[in-house]
Amino acid sequence: MLKAAARLLQRWTQATVTPEPERLDVTLDAADLVPAVAALQEARWGYLAAITGVDLGPEAGEIELLYHFCAGAAVVTLRVRTPRNQAFVPSICDSVPSASFYERELMEMLGVTVANTPNTDRLFLPDDWPQEVYPLRKDFRLEDAPLPGSDT
Amino acid sequence: MTAEREPFRIPIGPQHPSLKEPGHFEFSVDGEIVTQASLRLGYVHRGIEKGAEQRSWVQALYLLERVCGICSHVHATAYCLGVEKLAGVEAPPRAQAIRSLVAELERIHSHLLWLGVAAHEAGFDMLFMHSWRDRETVMNLLEGITGNRVNYSANLLGGVKCDIDQRLADAIRAGLDYLEERTQHYLDVVLNDALFLRRTRGIGVMSREDAERLGVVGPTARASGVARDVRVDAPYAAYRTLPVQIVTEMAGDLQARFIVRVRELFETYRLIRTLLDTLPEGELTVRIPRRIPPGEAISRVEAPRGELFYYLKSNGSDQPERIKIRTPTLPNFASVLVLTVGRQLADVPMILAGIDPCFSCNDRMVAIHDTGEGRDRRWTWEQLRQHGIEVYR
Repeated sequence: MLKAAARLLQRWTQATVTPEPERLDVTLDAADLVPAVAALQEARWGYLAAITGVDLGPEAGEIELLYHFCAGAAVVTLRVRTPRNQAFVPSICDSVPSASFYERELMEMLGVTVANTPNTDRLFLPDDWPQEVYPLRKDFRLEDAPLPGSDT
Repeated sequence: MTAEREPFRIPIGPQHPSLKEPGHFEFSVDGEIVTQASLRLGYVHRGIEKGAEQRSWVQALYLLERVCGICSHVHATAYCLGVEKLAGVEAPPRAQAIRSLVAELERIHSHLLWLGVAAHEAGFDMLFMHSWRDRETVMNLLEGITGNRVNYSANLLGGVKCDIDQRLADAIRAGLDYLEERTQHYLDVVLNDALFLRRTRGIGVMSREDAERLGVVGPTARASGVARDVRVDAPYAAYRTLPVQIVTEMAGDLQARFIVRVRELFETYRLIRTLLDTLPEGELTVRIPRRIPPGEAISRVEAPRGELFYYLKSNGSDQPERIKIRTPTLPNFASVLVLTVGRQLADVPMILAGIDPCFSCNDRMVAIHDTGEGRDRRWTWEQLRQHGIEVYR
């Protein structure tokens, strides 16, 4: 399964790592994300298990996004990096409609702009949560979050 | 004359849209037919992923076990297996068997709980009361093994806390005999009860293609003919030596989801009996370092509702760098939004109950509502800890 995935993704692959026997991590450019995901979907290779956003911190200045696809025991992770101050990735909802939830989470929790995603409403955070405060960023401070039920 | 009619919107929730948990659905309807569906979560969001980054690896275990009050054990198991992978240690065989044993008992409790709630949604309250009465059997067994009815806390990093002796094994076997007989009755109800069939057969059909495309997991997927089960696809704990028979149905309707869960119970009884018969001798724990070597791990386990996915990242310290949790209900929710479109509004609660949604699982700040002062206060971990010490002194 992993070899098939490696072949499908070959055109866009910048680097690959096999951290465990049944895993394959493929580093991509954010611009190549949409065709790479579409290639996996067209070949009916597995399903999107989750999208993880990892803030690498203010010093590294980047956010890493991990798109995990599972097929049986095999897990392929597409790794994409984007600058922290202008975090931006294209939406993959055209080929994976269920990605909408994960993309809404990325937008509110990490402040990643997801271009062309069908629904930009908040999923988890309250309506009175302040703009541009992203709780899963490493420099998030609890003081920036509103008290529940308060007007601030 | 109005040229275009505004769609009529019906909000369902946030107060218990089907199960007694909060979530907000908005359905646009044309007459009785649903034309559009959207979802807003977060009413029980507790910031657990962020909270885990500020705890030690050991403390995070107790936090993560509280993601869900129904399937707490699978969360702890997924986390422990992931951390053990990062640390390069493996729990002893007896511990792995007990992990699987408690997981299967938890599956019984979860499936019986769901059967009752789903029966209640169908207006069949007798079945609700019977299945919840029978569920007490397995709750008592879980309490006997771990000392807790929920949040059993059976896991430790590197093993388990509780052992199974002869007396417990006998009690579990006796409990299973009773439950197996009762489950036979439930299977008869979901297969043959005429009134029940009118609420389940042909309702909320999800084709195999849709199930695969939407990435649904667990019994929801298996009821549409997709043989997806982490215990089989990527075996972990004791399932590596204990093959699981996947239960699937092809119909993809609500009835199929009932049949799959009830028939899965029989397989679970068989697994527990085998685990008890073949319980390996030996230690319950191995030593695990306090600082976890840097790296990333992905850990997947089969929760009662389907695949539970954990991503763990360590920076080499005694605290996790990042923990991502994807619970089975999230992909299954996506299927509800798709499945309800074009169907009767009256079927929505049943379709929603059909995936066995777990809202708390998805919603993960500590805010204490202080009625005395009439305002909300935020406490730091230290204050909260001190409060606990004072209250329980």
